[in-house]
Parts: sequence; C-alpha cells; structure tokens
Amino acid sequence: MSTQEPMIADTGALFQIAEPTGRQATPRAPGRGIGIDLGTTNSLVAVAPHGEAPRALRDASGRALLPSVVSYVGDDVVVGYEAMAAQEEHSCAVISSVKRFMGRGIADVTWPHPYRLVSASGGGELFRVDVGGGRLVTPVEVSAAVLRALRERAEAVMGPVDGAVITVPAYFDDAQRQATRDAGKIAGLKVYRLLAEPTAAALAYGLDRGGRGLFAVYDLGGGTFDVSVLRLHDGVFQVLATGGDSALGGDDLDRALAAYLFTAGGHEGAPSRHQQELLRIAARAAKEALSERESVRVSVAACGIEGFEVRRETFEGLIDGLIERTIRACRATLRDAGVQPRELDGVVLVGGSTRTPLVRAAVARTFGKHPLADIDPDKVVAYGAAIQADVLSGSAREGVTLLDVAPLSLGIETMGGMVEKIIPRNAAIPIAARQVFTNYSEQQTGMQIHVVQGEREMAGECRSLARFELRGIPRLPPSMARVEVSFQLDADALLTVTARELMTGVRQSVEVKPTYGLNDEEIDRMVIESLDHASEDFAARSRAEARVELGRVVLAVRAALAEVGGLPGVLPAAERSAVEMQLTLADEAMAEPQSAADMLTLLRNQLERASEPFARRRMERALRAGMEGKSLHEIEQALAVEEAALDERRGAHSAETIEG
Amino acid sequence: MTDDFFACMGLPRRFDLDRAAIEGRYLELSRELHPDRFIGGSSAERRAALERSSALNEAYRGLRDPIRRAEHLCKLGGIDLDSDARSGGAPTPSQAFLVEMIEARELLAEATTPGEREALREKIEAAAEERLAAAAAALEGGMIRDAAEALVIHRYLRRFLDEIDGAQH
Repeated sequence: MSTQEPMIADTGALFQIAEPTGRQATPRAPGRGIGIDLGTTNSLVAVAPHGEAPRALRDASGRALLPSVVSYVGDDVVVGYEAMAAQEEHSCAVISSVKRFMGRGIADVTWPHPYRLVSASGGGELFRVDVGGGRLVTPVEVSAAVLRALRERAEAVMGPVDGAVITVPAYFDDAQRQATRDAGKIAGLKVYRLLAEPTAAALAYGLDRGGRGLFAVYDLGGGTFDVSVLRLHDGVFQVLATGGDSALGGDDLDRALAAYLFTAGGHEGAPSRHQQELLRIAARAAKEALSERESVRVSVAACGIEGFEVRRETFEGLIDGLIERTIRACRATLRDAGVQPRELDGVVLVGGSTRTPLVRAAVARTFGKHPLADIDPDKVVAYGAAIQADVLSGSAREGVTLLDVAPLSLGIETMGGMVEKIIPRNAAIPIAARQVFTNYSEQQTGMQIHVVQGEREMAGECRSLARFELRGIPRLPPSMARVEVSFQLDADALLTVTARELMTGVRQSVEVKPTYGLNDEEIDRMVIESLDHASEDFAARSRAEARVELGRVVLAVRAALAEVGGLPGVLPAAERSAVEMQLTLADEAMAEPQSAADMLTLLRNQLERASEPFARRRMERALRAGMEGKSLHEIEQALAVEEAALDERRGAHSAETIEG
Repeated sequence: MTDDFFACMGLPRRFDLDRAAIEGRYLELSRELHPDRFIGGSSAERRAALERSSALNEAYRGLRDPIRRAEHLCKLGGIDLDSDARSGGAPTPSQAFLVEMIEARELLAEATTPGEREALREKIEAAAEERLAAAAAALEGGMIRDAAEALVIHRYLRRFLDEIDGAQH
C-alpha cells in the first residue's frame, strides 16, 4: 500500500547538478572582492583592488586583527575585542576558537572547552552551543558573526562588497569546508572561493618575488597545522602536495605552557574553567615574550603563581614534541611532492606561533633554508586571499591561476567496511571519479552509499562525509541495472554527487545526508534569522524565504519522480520533460545567491503548475491501489492517511490546487 | 568508452614522453580551463569549465607517472589492468612467477635483521624496474599484450615492496 512508501524527509541537502542550459552570465564587480582570513584566534579582512598591493582593513581604533570571539551575553551579538572583554565573566556565553568546532560532530570534541554542547534534535552528529537565555547557536552561525563583522568593516571603507575569498586550512575536510562556505552565506557574502591558507600565503609571497620557483609553506595557525609544497611558474601556482594536522596548532603551545604553570604553582588535579582561561592568557603572553627574551616572569594570582620564572629552554622542552609532529608532517609532504629539501627556493612562515625561535630553528634545519618571514605572518594569508578575490571579481589584474589539490583521499565504503579510494589525496582539483554500482536482485530499487574521507583502510576510521540512497532504480534482472555515480570535487574541494542509470539513461535523484553538515533549509533559516537580528534588508529576507519555498517544492517533486515517475501511465514523456525543465530552471535560480524573490516565486508557481497533473494521477493511483479488496472503512482510513502524506510531501502545492 | 588522456592533453600517444613537455602542457591548459577563469560566465560555461578541468587533471595524473602512463596505453590498446574480465582484462601471471613470489614472501618472513630486509628490497626493486623498462620497450614496439604482462608483474612487485616497507614500521 502506498502509505508504506517512505515519507519524504526534508533533511539532507539535495545534490543535483542542473543541465548546462543557463545562458546568463554572472555580473561581476571588478575591485569589489575582499579576502578574509577566518582564523582560530584572530581574523582579518584585506583588499587589493584593481591590482593594487594588498592592505588589511582596520577598525575605528586602527586595529587590523579581529579576535575570533563572539559574545552572546544579553540580546546583542558582539564580536572581537569587546566580546573578549566579556569572556572572563561569561565563559559559557562568549565563544572563542570556534574554528575548531566547524564541521565537527559532538563526539569529535575531545579538547577542553567551557561550553555547553547540545546534540541536535534531529539526531545526527550536529550540535549546538547553549549560550544561555534559551539561545542555541551552531558553530557555523558563530563563524558567520565574525564574517559579518568583517564584511561590515569592509563596507564602511569601500561601499558594497561583491564577494569574498575565505581561507581555510589546507587540511580541512569536506565538512569543515562546507561549514565555512555556509558561514559565508549566512553572513551575506557571495563566497567566490575557499582558498587554502598556505596557498594564499604563497600567492602573497610569490607575486612579490617574480612568481617563479619551488616553495614550501609552513603554516602553524592557532588551531591547525598545514604544510604545502608549491611550484610557481609564470603566474601559475601549482600545489604539488599538502599535508598537516587539523588538530594541532599554536594554541597547543599555549596549553602545554599553561599546564606546566599550573603544576608549577603547586596544584594537583585539574584547574577550574576560570583558572584555565587565566592560565591560557598568561601562557600566550609568556610565549610571545620568550620569542624576544631568554626568560620571563609570570604571575597568575588565581593560581597562586607570583613572579614565577619561565626560561626559554624550559618552554622549548615543553613544546619540543609538538614541533616534532609538525616536522614529521613536513617530511611526509616533501616526499609526496617528490621534492628534495635542497631543491626548494624558499620556505614561507605563516601564523603568529612561527615567531617562536624553536619553530624557526626546526624549520631551518628540516628544509635547509632560512625561512622567509618578511611579510607579517599574521597578515600574509589575508593578503593572498585579497589578491585572489581581486582576480575573481574580474579586475584587470595580471593573470594568476591557482591549481590546488585534494588534501584527503575520498573513498566509498565497500563490503566488510573497507574503503575503496576513488580520488587520492594530492590529486589536482577539480577532479571527478565515476563508479558503477549494480543491483543484486530485481526487487532492489535502492542502494545505500557511504562516502568517507581519509587515509585509513576501514571506513569506520575515516571521516564520514555523507550517506545517501540511490532510489528509483528500474526493476531489472540482477546485475542489469547499472548506476553510474559521479563524485565531483570542485575547485573548493567540495563534493557533489550525481547518478545516472546506464541502461535507461535516467538521472537518479541523489539525496545526500551530510554527516556533519547543515542542510540547505537550515542554512536558509539561519540566513533569515541573521537578517532578523541584523536588519533592514527586506529584499534579502524575502529572497531567502522565496528560496526556502521553492526548495521545498523542488524536493517534493523530485522525490515523487524518483518514487513513481518511472511507472507506466503516471507521467507521459512530454509532461516529464516539462517538469524536468522546470526543475532545471529552479536549480539554476537556486544556485545563484542573488536570484530575486519574484523570480523564485514565479519559478515555484511554474513548477507547481507543470507537476500538478502528475501529482493528481499519483494520488489516484495510490487510491486505486489502496481500494482493491478493502472494506469501506479501510478505504476511508487509507484516504485520510494518503491525504495527510501528500499534503506533507507537496507542501506548497495546496495553494495551486485552489487556484487551478 | 575510454577517455584518451593523450588526446585530452594534446600529446602524442606514446610511452616515451618528456616530463617537462607534460608539465608545460598541463600548466598551459590549466591556465585556459581553470574554473576561476569562468567565475563571471554563465552557469553553462562554469559547468563546462568544471568538467573540462576535471578531465584535464585526471589526464595529467594518468600521464605524469610513467607507470600509470604505461597502464593507460595498455587500456587504450584494449587491455584494462584494472579489470579481471577474461578478455580485455589483466593477464594472469605465470605459475613460475607466482612460485617466485611465494618464495620471496618466505624470505621476508624469515628476515630478522634490517640488513636482510634491505637486501631483499633492493632485489625486488631492481626486478620491478626491469619489468617497467620491458613494458616501455614493448609499448614503443606496439606490443600491447607483452607490455600488459610485464605491468601485471610490476604491480605484484610494487605491492610486495609496500609490504616490505610496511613490515619495517
């Protein structure tokens, strides 16, 4: 009976690439692109309009760095130094180092933090942070608040911003990248491109130096470590290999020192949250001082530490093991790139922690070169992003092409939980892989596919990216139905999946449930909410609402097509092509962030009109199937259930029925 | 249908290609095809750029490495080393070779010192290089079947080398 058909769960983003029918070029705004370094500890925005040299934009007090700290104390959302000031008093409601939480599941959060994490209601791995006052925020929203503050800073200087290049650690996986892109969207930014941080640094340095040669970039950020080897050749920046550790950063140096200070203060057990915070701040200051001096005196009254002397060699003893981990990653990456240290023309340092003398010495030893640090290591990433943003905004800058690589292998789970690699790490992106799946029996109309990222052999030890089910596979004898699934990594190293049944040529709907991501609807809701808080932009709000409505109808129609679209008599060919054309148009409009609300609404009406007869026949069919051999009572019951199910599925269709 | 990596990169279909020529052509084509160059284009143009530069990157990966290049030439010649189909699939290595491999494995299991392992490794490494050279010569002479047979053995030897390296850690 049709009520046993699966309910359409509107969770899960729909990855479906439209046929290339769009003719409309995207208008560009040369010189209106901004580069954002969204860091664990600090963030900043830089511009390099029309080929100018990059410069960081400063706040009213002349500060370029914006602490990546967001306060939810009271009704207002406050970002930066002001939020930092509230941190000590409201440690649960002021969020720092949110980058570590991006694209992560609750089970991944094994490091100490003062926050209350709440599992998302819909199951899955997603979590929110309870910031008090009944308010729950996702890490993506917190990052969006930082990005919005930077966007506003840029707008105050240069007027409207067209788009942004946002940097991410090279070693970020798909979920972390997707989360960053989503944050940009929620902050009201058109994200031109996600750019790997070491690649951005190389861009800033390389253009500075004639753009030729072989370089390594050692990037010790607040919360991540990346190393990349690049070849520069006449404006082409080719990443040969990248590696690193997304759970090791400069903050770990601070933490090691903080733990030492606590013990040195005569304490046992664990520090309180308050003590921990004070220790961390003191440790960071001591680390910075020790880059200049041989010894420093530290006082943390709350821990009974008064004028305690820390010598540079003591600090170096504490962090030696951490630095050694970064060096091992450097060696492995050189090996992957097929490059000997002596072949390198230079080594670039990125991140404030690379000011630590031990780091510089280790890098010099490993690469056999004195590292380059003449561009401020705190700003070099934003500078590179600004240059790339200028190029992508369409300004007449001398041609620069960035060829980046996939940081982690992409694979699918096979029998017995093993991983079959389909795109190896360090493959140049964009890149696609195709895989053909076949049916085991004639009864099988769907199959589960689990996509993972990582280098381990067992799927359970890799990062789960997404699970999806291929549906609507035609009933063919075993091994006859052949579904070709394409996995496409785009230039942002983000994954999209499409599927096609080879016997019939029918495109399958692929509904991907990202393991650690937000779905499109949640993002759209957050866009609306952010506008509620921020503001006056009604056009953007109605755009977002129209997008949600259209998205719902597209999802419902597509699910219906997958379920019964292939059955005889339910959908004549002419009608199907009309519906599919409307779906394609809708996809295209949705892919364009600037689509007007009227346009989206018009498309929704057209799609509803085109699919109306199909929806009606589908219901009739379901009813007929339900009535055979049933009592009147059963039929009435079936009717009621069916109506409810259809209402649920069709969502906005009801308005159309009245109209028609 | 097999995608022809050589056609994709506009290079002659042969094993003996200059590494610098491959790299040079790759950079040149990338500059033209990279999706960043089409960010202001229509969605059709952007989609096409994504597909074309994906195909280019795949071809580059397939041609840059001599082993992949040799295997790709076999595939274009009708023998797919990744397939176990009886016709057109990977040739089965000879009984004699399999016996040799079993013996080599026993040697590895018995090797107790790093020096013994290293000696075994060098021997296998040399055998692998010799097979690759044989495959290259066969390909230049148009002998696809011979090349495929050499490459299958080469694969066995490489896997064994990985095992030796794995045993050391």
